[in-house]
Amino acid sequence: METEKLFEITAYTENQVGLLSAIAGIFTRRSLNIEKLLVYPSQIAGIHKFKIITRAAEAQIQTVVLQIEKKVDVIKSYYEVDNERSCREIDDVRQFLQEREIESNNI
Amino acid sequence: MEQKITGAEAFWRSLLEEQVKVVFGYPGGQIMPVYDHYWNYQAQIRHVLVRHEQGAIHAAQGYARASGIPGMVLVTSGPGATNVVTGVADAMIDSTPVVVVAGQVPCQLLGKDAFQEIDLIGMATPITKWSYQIRRAEDVAWAVSRAFYIARTGRPGPVVLDFTKDAQAGLVDYAPKPCHFIRSYVPDPQVSESQLDEAARMIDEARKPFVVYGQGILLSGAEKELAAFLEKGAIPAGSTLLGLGALDSGNPHLKGMLGMHGNLAPNVMTQHCDLLVAVGMRFDDRVTGKLDTYARQARIIHIDIDPSEIGKLVPVDLGIVGDARKVLAGLTERIAPRTTREWQMEPILCDAVEKHKVIEPEIQPGTGEINPGEVVACVADAVKGEALIVTDVGQNQMLAARYSRFVRPHSFISSGGLGTMGFGLPAAIGAKIAAPERTVVVFLGDGGLQMTFQEMGTIMQEGTDVKIVLLNNNWLGNVRMWQQLFFQERYSCTRMLNPEFTGIAQAYGISGLHVETREELPSAIRQMFAQEGPFLLDVHVREESMVFPMIPPGSSVDEIMLNNEDWFNYGD
Repeated sequence: METEKLFEITAYTENQVGLLSAIAGIFTRRSLNIEKLLVYPSQIAGIHKFKIITRAAEAQIQTVVLQIEKKVDVIKSYYEVDNERSCREIDDVRQFLQEREIESNNI
Repeated sequence: MEQKITGAEAFWRSLLEEQVKVVFGYPGGQIMPVYDHYWNYQAQIRHVLVRHEQGAIHAAQGYARASGIPGMVLVTSGPGATNVVTGVADAMIDSTPVVVVAGQVPCQLLGKDAFQEIDLIGMATPITKWSYQIRRAEDVAWAVSRAFYIARTGRPGPVVLDFTKDAQAGLVDYAPKPCHFIRSYVPDPQVSESQLDEAARMIDEARKPFVVYGQGILLSGAEKELAAFLEKGAIPAGSTLLGLGALDSGNPHLKGMLGMHGNLAPNVMTQHCDLLVAVGMRFDDRVTGKLDTYARQARIIHIDIDPSEIGKLVPVDLGIVGDARKVLAGLTERIAPRTTREWQMEPILCDAVEKHKVIEPEIQPGTGEINPGEVVACVADAVKGEALIVTDVGQNQMLAARYSRFVRPHSFISSGGLGTMGFGLPAAIGAKIAAPERTVVVFLGDGGLQMTFQEMGTIMQEGTDVKIVLLNNNWLGNVRMWQQLFFQERYSCTRMLNPEFTGIAQAYGISGLHVETREELPSAIRQMFAQEGPFLLDVHVREESMVFPMIPPGSSVDEIMLNNEDWFNYGD
């Protein structure tokens, strides 16, 4: 059995009604306890940021992150071990959106 | 400027923009403005009035699976919406593109327990690709085109739109809002060239590669690419239940169906290969059996358009995210041509044992009661692979999958991941409406037929020419079989006292025949196909019918029961 650790999951999303419960449902279905949840506007207008801290095995977190990102209105999601928190903030999502023609503003 | 129109009319105009030809639906209070406007669109869009909303969603699924075009469902709020939930969940797990639009109470009543109000978005979120509540007429065009775009692209799936009554009644300056791009959504991921190189190298190095493929081949339209890939690399393959029809049944590289009731050869080869290449399949537990022992000896490449499937169940050596058609074409280009592989004895021995121990006793028993598999084989002889085969769930489904033959894609429609009894009859209606030029045969049992029997009314009203083959054993056969094998023959609640089904069919104006003996069977089948229009063939089959081979739940895929007494041991 792989050991459980605290992970911090980040997700950048469109500001769409219902996404919070859609994302929470991914945790509920696996009986994963959310230790901490923050949802707030990112530095890019119209894009929200989720920070979710949960305890689980890393293999499970890998699937969870991919399933979060699978939601149509989720732009990007990734995880870090909680104590390695970095200050990447928004550079990566900005780069991703450039690749995906953010100018089109097409949500 | 054009005159303003209502949200309800904007809805029909948006459907026309999406080239929708058929809607499966059932009216009710909170969707009445939409139905009222349908009056003006009857010439352009066909509405099929079902008898229960579950029938609408399964018909839409059958339509989508037969045509590749999203199925469209229109229902009212509350019970209308909850009645489609089973089919939405079924479409989600089987990656079927459907768009469900349900009425909803006016916005000011939301959350106030109004008549026929439910939190549909709350219910639909975990079982849809996308769900959205339309609260303003201005959002109709955007939401409808976004719904169809999401349903049909990438890994397809169901979308639910919850259409409030004031958005239906509100006025809007309508303009189409076609959706071809969503910035947060990557439906067709770029395939990595270096991963293709790596995969080709692994395939070239392998002595005994084996391909397992699923419905992803059909959804991607990769049938030719798959056949070319197997041919160039001389690689044998096994199909999942939903992958059936992607390769011609006579393709020499196809070794049969995988999984619990699949063929011996592909299950045994899974445990003997040195490289397993999985394409457009998701390692369902009915395919893998015990995961801890599944293909542990092999390196594994998993190809899927959905990144979250890679590594979800089976740890892989290489995961390639991408459209099956593109990935297979890229691999075929790269691999070295081969004429043989080191697969010699496995398929030959497995096939010989299966033929002798399982297939012949099932389809050519000679005497005694009719076996259900015998009926499927008889129908298969009559249609020669040309028919579109639909199934319900249970023994009928497994036997239809095992003993039907396919010569072209989109010829097998069945509820795979959810295993929804009652799916068969309405799905067959949808399939026939999508493919009117094809013969549509549905195999079902006496249990499943009665779960959605009311759709006989839809068949009558629409004149849908479906051939219904009832494998009637007066039991819930699959559960009865498990009780016999795993629950000490305690047949709890599985015996059914049934009506005379052909009599009910006759009341709906549907011809039928009741068959009790082997001698009557071929001529009854001939009569069913000779006669135009819907037909119910009620065949009384062996009560204690079993489906073999069987990998018992929790066993490895090479631990296979051949019948009530014998187990298959490869190499003994």
